Amino acid sequence: MAGIKMVDVKKQYPNGFVAIENMNLEIPDKEFVVLVGPSGCAKSTALKMIAGLEEISSGEMYIGDRLVNKVPPKDREIAMVFQSYALYPHMTIYDNIAFGLKMRKTPKEEIDKLVKEASEILGMSDLLDRKPRQLSGGQRQRVALGRAIVRHPQVFLFDEPLSNLDAKLRVKMRTELKKLHERLHTTVVYVTHDQVEAMTMGSTIVVLKLGAIQQVGSPLSLYSFPSNRFVAGFIGSPSMNFLDCTIAEENGNLFVDTGAFRLMLPEDKAAKVRDHGGKEFIFGIRPEDIRKRREKKESYSEEHINAKINVIEPLGKEMYVNLSAGNLEFMAIINARFPLKPHEEVELTLNMDRMHLFEKEGEKEAVAHTAKNATTLEGARLMADLDESDDD
Amino acid sequence: MAMTRDEKFWEGMRWAGFGATFLFMAFPIFWMILTSFKVARDAYSTKVFFSPTLNNFISIFQDPYNFGPLLFNSVVVSFSTVAVAIPAATCAAYAFSRYQFKGKNALMVSVLSSQFVPPVVVVLPFFILFKNLHLLDTRLALVILNLSFVLPFAVWMIKGFIDALPPDIESAAVVDGCNRFQVLRHITLPLIMPGVVTSAVFGFIQSWNEFLFALILTNQKAVTLTVGLMGLHTDKGILWEHMAAASMLIMIPIFAISFTIREYFISGLTMGAVK
Amino acid sequence: MNSREKYVKWVMLAPALLILIGTTLYPFLYSFITSFRFWRLTRSAEPGAFVGLANYVRAFGDAGFWNSVWVTVLFTIISVTLSMAIGLAIALILERATKLNTFMKSLLIFPFAMAPALKGFSWRFMLNPDYGILDAMIDFVFPFWSDVVWLGEPYWAVFWLAMTEIWGWAPYIALVFIGALGALPQETVNAAKVDGANTFQVFWHVTLPQLMPIVIMVGLLKTIFSVKMFDQVVTLTGGGPGRATETLNFYVYNQGFKFYDMGYASSLAYILVTTMFIFAFIYVRFLMKGEQN
Repeated sequence: MAGIKMVDVKKQYPNGFVAIENMNLEIPDKEFVVLVGPSGCAKSTALKMIAGLEEISSGEMYIGDRLVNKVPPKDREIAMVFQSYALYPHMTIYDNIAFGLKMRKTPKEEIDKLVKEASEILGMSDLLDRKPRQLSGGQRQRVALGRAIVRHPQVFLFDEPLSNLDAKLRVKMRTELKKLHERLHTTVVYVTHDQVEAMTMGSTIVVLKLGAIQQVGSPLSLYSFPSNRFVAGFIGSPSMNFLDCTIAEENGNLFVDTGAFRLMLPEDKAAKVRDHGGKEFIFGIRPEDIRKRREKKESYSEEHINAKINVIEPLGKEMYVNLSAGNLEFMAIINARFPLKPHEEVELTLNMDRMHLFEKEGEKEAVAHTAKNATTLEGARLMADLDESDDD
Repeated sequence: MAMTRDEKFWEGMRWAGFGATFLFMAFPIFWMILTSFKVARDAYSTKVFFSPTLNNFISIFQDPYNFGPLLFNSVVVSFSTVAVAIPAATCAAYAFSRYQFKGKNALMVSVLSSQFVPPVVVVLPFFILFKNLHLLDTRLALVILNLSFVLPFAVWMIKGFIDALPPDIESAAVVDGCNRFQVLRHITLPLIMPGVVTSAVFGFIQSWNEFLFALILTNQKAVTLTVGLMGLHTDKGILWEHMAAASMLIMIPIFAISFTIREYFISGLTMGAVK
Repeated sequence: MNSREKYVKWVMLAPALLILIGTTLYPFLYSFITSFRFWRLTRSAEPGAFVGLANYVRAFGDAGFWNSVWVTVLFTIISVTLSMAIGLAIALILERATKLNTFMKSLLIFPFAMAPALKGFSWRFMLNPDYGILDAMIDFVFPFWSDVVWLGEPYWAVFWLAMTEIWGWAPYIALVFIGALGALPQETVNAAKVDGANTFQVFWHVTLPQLMPIVIMVGLLKTIFSVKMFDQVVTLTGGGPGRATETLNFYVYNQGFKFYDMGYASSLAYILVTTMFIFAFIYVRFLMKGEQN
């Protein structure tokens, strides 16, 4: 078993294009790490560099304690699952799974034992004589997995392995992959562009954009404490509302002023931007942190906002509501029990503990929570969610 | 769904066109086949019903026509051309498809363009060269010249098949522990084999049908089937019943192999020309 | 990729490139040099003196040359337009993937795979005024043409020469077009139908414009191969009647291998090369554009 360490790793193509600039990342042993980002963020390139399929232009790459810059893929003790599965179409399923072992000159009986074992884990013992083209998408996916686990590698590399499956199967495979990880207890590096997939699967998530790491953290810490506007917008669905605002001061209190409404900043956040009065910021609030005003709840804003409902998307338990206040548009998630109608006016309150302010320049988070420490806040967040379902 | 009048009209046209196409394509071949079984008297007539004979097929292998050695020459020249061209083309196609390097586009364009050099330009200098090297009227001379058009075509065609192979499969094999050579042997080659075979068939057909080079460079020992037809153009006119039988000799093998691999053939056919 | 891998590609390219240098580049340059020389093989096996542009100048005053240019242009226009039109028609007929159409598509391979030399002989046989089956059929349908000796009339001879070419190429072009038609999105056709277009309008306004890039490619390719055509001249008409079917290619052949005038033949060949490469250049540019996508 082994962790992975990247030190100042850089990828530059012969035509001069820099795909990855000085990436530093440490992936602990046995961790399930997800690299996530929009297309063009070089997440697959990073994965291929770990695999040895892409050359490292400069920097150092370690698997375990071994510097692997010059080590060919076959000697890195890794296994990889490709987006297209990349099954060998001319071989049976058995041969597909056994191929890696054959190349390593594993004795025949040993191969047979390992293939049988792997196919049992994945529940496809009856498919071994078939050819890939005779299998469904989900079955091919399993074969690709089987080909990886049969070798008992130090590290598993997954390159968007679920993106070719239909929605239902994808959700099912997520759970299976997580179970598999718990069972095999091996380091996994998993690449995806789907933030939901990243949140549900990773124990650690690495958010990438244009070849640069934006933030590394647990799913909930990324959700609650995004370090910049990109991460805040990328994680969470529907995504966070962003509204231009200025900071105004009155009677020693600080207010967020969006033009359409004014909200008082909680003390701990106000302290961080006290000397920024008059400066422009981007105010961020998640749709789930906006609620219809009924009774005041602790941490929700004193003031309420009047907004007009544009569109309602009912989802059953709750509804996505697109709203306008002044010339601002934003999204809120509201419990479905409220009898809302389009074009109605509605009074809203915001959970100001969970609001964010991003600097206009650089888009860094300016009022990151420090008053309460991260773990308790995560706990608080979960508690709040429980509360909500109780009393609404 | 019911057809509109307009659609009915075009459906009718489609069937008429189908019939016309069939006649247009099949008739010249059909007529050659028919003629090859006719005695001379019937051959010089438009008779459709006649008493068939196999004599024509026998006599083209006898004096003075002797198509036996010609057949042998055609077989040897075509097979040799393919045997040299296809391995070379496969390697080159793989390099073009899988590697990036300076001047790659210029090289690919040169390979492609070499198909368009008129054969007559190629044959002029080679005629002189082969004369000096005493290679005129040899099968080797034909093989060398046939390579000039079989090879570039094969490179492009095989490249099309390799391009269509997802590179991930090769990456998977590398991760599975193959070196470059093992990837080629266990993965790439088996998978592009249909393409390679199709290109080989194309190359074979092109060499087999080749006429200009053979006409210029051979006169006795190395004469191929296509040029041999010229020998049936005698003082007494063209001996059509023999001509038809000899045509069968040229057509049948080509038709047989191209029909066997017709699906690959059709996809390969379109691959060289357009993307 | 390590440093050893860097020259692996050159090792893989070497055999093909060496063969092509030997079989194409070498004669290509050799002919170019020869085109500036006086060299009749009947007088000397050794190349003669350099005569500058004399061979090229001679071509401009040579009626035989201009005749061959005219024949080539005529032949090219007829064979390209008709084989494209017929090819497209066949493609539209066989477009749908039915069993019958699949069978017909396999049949289309045959005319294409037939030796061009054989095409010439086969049509020559069918067009014979005394016992040709095609001649008899035409006489039956069009009695006023019954006196025409098809290969004896200059323009008809060019037409039938083109016909042998069309017979072989139209099926090929049809197969290419069928592939292209299959790749067109069916939605656009349905959208046009919903918009009220009739079958012809759908073809004219929706299908054909989308097919245009392929039509241009195939047209260029066919043009190149029409200019290259040689075999059927020998086997169908022998260049006759008179010089009515002497294409440029055939004329070069005659100068080189009938009169053994290597210098003059080379310069004519180069005039041929130049015209071909104009079309080849455009074609290659189109193809490489597709390559980069």
